[in-house]
Amino acid sequence: MHALGSVEAAPCGSTFPAGAFGRAMSEPPRDEHGALICAIAERGDRAAFAALFAHFAPRLKAHLIRLGSRADAAEELAQETLLTVWRKAALYDPARAGAAAWIFAIARNLRIDAARHARLPLPEPDPADTPEAPPGADALVAAAERARRVRAALDSLPREQAEVVRLAFFDDRPHAQIEQALGIPLGTVKSRLRLAMARLRTLVGDGA
Amino acid sequence: MIRSHPAEASLLACAAGTLPAPHAAVVAVHLAQCPQCRETLRLGEEIGGHLLESGPSAALSPRALDDVMARLDRGPPSPRPAPTLAGLATGRWRRIGPGIELMNLAPRDAGGTRLDLIRVAPGIALPRHGHGGAESTCVMQGAFADETGEYRAGDFAEGDAPLIHAPRALSGEACICIVATTGRLRPHGLLARIVAPLAGL
Repeated sequence: MHALGSVEAAPCGSTFPAGAFGRAMSEPPRDEHGALICAIAERGDRAAFAALFAHFAPRLKAHLIRLGSRADAAEELAQETLLTVWRKAALYDPARAGAAAWIFAIARNLRIDAARHARLPLPEPDPADTPEAPPGADALVAAAERARRVRAALDSLPREQAEVVRLAFFDDRPHAQIEQALGIPLGTVKSRLRLAMARLRTLVGDGA
Repeated sequence: MIRSHPAEASLLACAAGTLPAPHAAVVAVHLAQCPQCRETLRLGEEIGGHLLESGPSAALSPRALDDVMARLDRGPPSPRPAPTLAGLATGRWRRIGPGIELMNLAPRDAGGTRLDLIRVAPGIALPRHGHGGAESTCVMQGAFADETGEYRAGDFAEGDAPLIHAPRALSGEACICIVATTGRLRPHGLLARIVAPLAGL
């Protein structure tokens, strides 16, 4: 376990020295990017922000280009995503989402908004805006473990199931059209997705 | 007690951001009331996070970080409407038939999908119709029934081209649903052929 900082420091439950990426080998891995978000929440840590930006902005840009954005629009949206991370850092709850998942969801919603849908409600994993209770520093370890299990679970999917999951994320078309991309009927797409999700849910367990 | 949920494929598309926004808005209304589907969404977002982490990078312009750092202290973005009736029903109801009113939330988009609230008086049935594409419905108040079953507050109904139905509001209070419709409705019967063009559906 890492040393607890001030107990009243919410929502991440621990303070993180600026730039403290290192940890003793004996400690369980924690979500380092989650720790950076917490550092922003706790003290507006600009160095933590720069580190998050360096990691995620180029990945977001590539992701958005892959979804069909022009390069300049993708860069603008990647910047907006990180700006939103800065503004909403206090709402980040590592007990609920890994840093990458949280940032992915922010980018997704901004991308939908950018298509002039800002007046529509969008899917949020949690209806409440603020974490219910400070989850404590363990949450960063739990977030890393959950992300590891999702990775392992995805790697273990049969190829045809992994393919429909991948298409769901990277093919910017209604899932009804995945059937055309794969040349299999819609019913098969849906049942493969159902199988894939059931398997993922079992493999990831209650942690996700 | 919610009994009907979006298909797993729709939840995953929602997490991925590949579901058309009006359909995603209907799913959002359901999610606000359904912890079970929120878990599935969360799993989908973890998958998205992993794909983002393990995916390729694209070089940013040299000034990208400085530009963003200079904007860090700007105010928060404008809030989105809450996925509740009070948050959404801020427009005007338009009567489109006996006991049937419509409030458009988003006009038909480039993909041919529009988003509406529909309010149907107790006991009134919509004219029998088919669909030109996918239809997502979530009950926000009251209840309705059609050939596929009964739907109450929070329940989610998914229909597509093969579905032909005449949903009827159950007795009690008026039934209000949020509905995303892709493509045109295909009216069956005289009443539907009269109502559909009036409603723009």
